[in-house]
Amino acid sequence: MNTTIAEYFLSFDVFRSFVSRISLWLGTDVTPFIVFMIFLLGALVITLVLATVGGFGTYAERKISADIQARIGPNRVGPYGLFQLIADGIKMVSKEDIAPKTADLFLFYLAPFLAIFGVFSTFAVIPFGSGITLTDLNVGVFYLVAISSLVGVGVFLGGYASNSKWSMLGGMRGASQIISYEIPVTLSILAMVLLSGGMSFGQIVGSQGAFPHQWFLFHNPFSFIAFFVLFTGALAETNRAPFDLPEAESELVSGYHTEYTGMRFGLFALAEYVEVFVVSGVAVSLFLGGYNVPGEEFGHSLAGQGAQATVFFLKTCALYYVVIWIRWTFPRLRVDQLMVICWKYLTPIAIFNLVGCAVWLVVFDGKSMFELFFHH
Amino acid sequence: MYVNILFLTSALLTVGCAVAMLIARNIMHSCIFLLGTLIGIAGLYVTLGADFVAVTQTMVYVGGIVILMLFAVMLTGGKEFVSRAQKLLGLIPAMGNKWSFGIAFLTSFVFVLSQFVLIKNIVKGVEVTKEAKPFVSTVEEIGELLLTDHVLAFELSSVLLLGALIGAAIIARPRKERVAND
Repeated sequence: MNTTIAEYFLSFDVFRSFVSRISLWLGTDVTPFIVFMIFLLGALVITLVLATVGGFGTYAERKISADIQARIGPNRVGPYGLFQLIADGIKMVSKEDIAPKTADLFLFYLAPFLAIFGVFSTFAVIPFGSGITLTDLNVGVFYLVAISSLVGVGVFLGGYASNSKWSMLGGMRGASQIISYEIPVTLSILAMVLLSGGMSFGQIVGSQGAFPHQWFLFHNPFSFIAFFVLFTGALAETNRAPFDLPEAESELVSGYHTEYTGMRFGLFALAEYVEVFVVSGVAVSLFLGGYNVPGEEFGHSLAGQGAQATVFFLKTCALYYVVIWIRWTFPRLRVDQLMVICWKYLTPIAIFNLVGCAVWLVVFDGKSMFELFFHH
Repeated sequence: MYVNILFLTSALLTVGCAVAMLIARNIMHSCIFLLGTLIGIAGLYVTLGADFVAVTQTMVYVGGIVILMLFAVMLTGGKEFVSRAQKLLGLIPAMGNKWSFGIAFLTSFVFVLSQFVLIKNIVKGVEVTKEAKPFVSTVEEIGELLLTDHVLAFELSSVLLLGALIGAAIIARPRKERVAND
């Protein structure tokens, strides 16, 4: 039972009668217009919330890194430095907008917007709750993988257009890394598509349950491995450490966004932090049960929707913490190691998982490990 | 109405970017306009109800082909194409100038239009149904058709792609230097 925001609202009698009364009053059927407005409003709210989450990502990154390195971290702006995000935002906006003299200006200005467009377009299918999804596309997961590859174009163009050696190296590394790691990630996602029998997020999340034994993570040994393949690949696709070669500070100054200042740099940074949230959310939806809460009836009520969104955000933030934790724990890989890990280890493992999941489905008739052990 | 808005946006994006791609001086810019055209075509597929084809279009072209093109253009000296193209236009009169191109475009436009007017009464158009069909997912149908009716084409193309992959790997493989002593 998965619906979009508009369908969820229209499933309430009160709301339906409200819409029909307006229709009577105006003399035409306004339902499509209302649906459109709900969609627009929902899109606005989700974009704003996730942009704020991305902004808090920078705060979390600095606070957690400080914790790991036995420092205090930002603590001057507001309680516990919580308003650091606003201070950073004001700094970004008020900075001078500099473009290098020899840069390809058209591409230079376009690149950050391509990156942010690629990330923000994925919000359309992220399932925050059974009624809090902008649209439950039949090809949801596929759409997400496809549209987020625009980020790779943005990163590459940012590197190329700056006309600087650091940027160029960073951009080339970024693009090749994003293309390469797309393969194990997509194969792992495909295994989950097999298990659930559909590509829409609604179906994938709906065929899992609220409790860990119903999650796809513990469905079979292959899906357990697939989660780690997906997570590793997602780290590389979002250019997070230990795969942060495109912006390796110690060798490339700042990589593909070396020449960017002010809000253009801010857009790149925002795109990265929001993308981390998005891929964590995807991993949660695919493997960790997504927004599921116990009780079918409870889930459909307004309180249930709140609970679902809370569960989703909690799980996603836990994964977000792990991503930051990994960044401040592991050293950076070399370029050749990066490619070896992708092509010689992750891709074969992902193909093995895909075949393994298919065989498991045939042999055990689609039952999970838990069902096999405890329900004869 | 919303389908019309989507169609108009996609069509404008496709045509506008295609024209911009043709008149862009810089070949890197042409690549980016091509990206816009391909995204617009994906939008057109969506208006036709072909969700899977639209997403595949985005996946293959945006994620793969355009990045590959950008790489190829950049590694073969992206900016140098600009000056060469201008020189070519200036040196060889047969390449034409903006007036000759403009006249050619106008002539072909008038020609095609008159052709359409001439054949209008001969060719019967396809009946366009006014009733919008309810949207159905195409994923299951495509999957079934690929593995039943079109399984031969499917397998042949996969073998072809595998061959291309192996060929690329062999071409790109570093050659072993033969040691003189053995």
